[in-house]
Amino acid sequence: MKEKWRLLKTEDKTAFTNMAIDRAVLVTNSEGKVPPTVRFYTWKPPAISIGYFQSLEEEVDLAVCKELGVDFVRRITGGGAVFHDKELTYSIVISESHPQIPRNILESYGRICGAVMNGLKNLGIESKYVPINDIVTNGKKISGNAQTRKIKTVLQHGTVLLDVDVEKMFSLLKVPDEKIRDKLISDVKERVTSIRHLLGKNISFDNVAEAMKKGFEEEFNVKLTPGKLTEEEIILTKKFEKECFGSRDWNYKK
Amino acid sequence: MQGKSVYKVPNGKLLKIFLDYNKKTKSINKINITGDFFAYPEEAIEIMENQLRNTLLDREILLNKINSMIKENNIEFIGLNAEGLTEGILMCLK
Repeated sequence: MKEKWRLLKTEDKTAFTNMAIDRAVLVTNSEGKVPPTVRFYTWKPPAISIGYFQSLEEEVDLAVCKELGVDFVRRITGGGAVFHDKELTYSIVISESHPQIPRNILESYGRICGAVMNGLKNLGIESKYVPINDIVTNGKKISGNAQTRKIKTVLQHGTVLLDVDVEKMFSLLKVPDEKIRDKLISDVKERVTSIRHLLGKNISFDNVAEAMKKGFEEEFNVKLTPGKLTEEEIILTKKFEKECFGSRDWNYKK
Repeated sequence: MQGKSVYKVPNGKLLKIFLDYNKKTKSINKINITGDFFAYPEEAIEIMENQLRNTLLDREILLNKINSMIKENNIEFIGLNAEGLTEGILMCLK
């Protein structure tokens, strides 16, 4: 009998809620109250997330964010700044000691990225994991990933690009040198791709989520069962949203 | 004095350091270590920033101190290492 993990789908949440849900599930899973959990989600309004160690004002053009109605949030995971717009974001929360999770951090990145790669394959897209934290197809990045380990629990979240607007992305992110902005944009256009670009058509969030669900089930030999956040997780989400991800202290801490 | 560096760690990530230092004593007043690297546990970077205060801005001293902090706090870096961090700090000097 296959192990059952919980599947959550939460569309159109704010950046603060999304990051708070991931952290809430990390807490409840660490206490053994919920099974390993995979979540697929989207962001509304679109948002920039920055890595735990990044400086908000160094990386993000806050005036342009305000002008375009784009939120910003600091993650609890390291890594770089990401513009979350037309994408499926996944997260997985699972005990560090679960037999499916390699102890070695880089190996565990590879394993979880394997699930995303299976999902892409289910859509007809071949891809490979490129350490440290990217998934590429035909040499172009289609997914970025970031992992933290806290309270003996792994949280990895990452993006799968459904579509990408590099110009808009770079209007929101600061570049080291304005003189090379155009060059940077053309370089990134060469290095980033999306499902829409690869398949030549729009694919809905639900279709990609279904392919990813199967991808995770194949990779970990489990059954993902649709579920909901528990009452405790809902309370924790509100708490983390207020005290952490929605607070100025947290987002401007570096 | 204040200095800033942007350093791409070889085979690693982009490190950006903001340094406030005493030019006379050549020591660190305050340091902010930022970038798109990974460190486990994440909170260890704040411990490092605190423990680096008053450290002399000398390559060997910095490298030894960073290495011992990594060992003491069981820090695992991905996309960053002690040598890269030392280089990034020294690049802030004017």
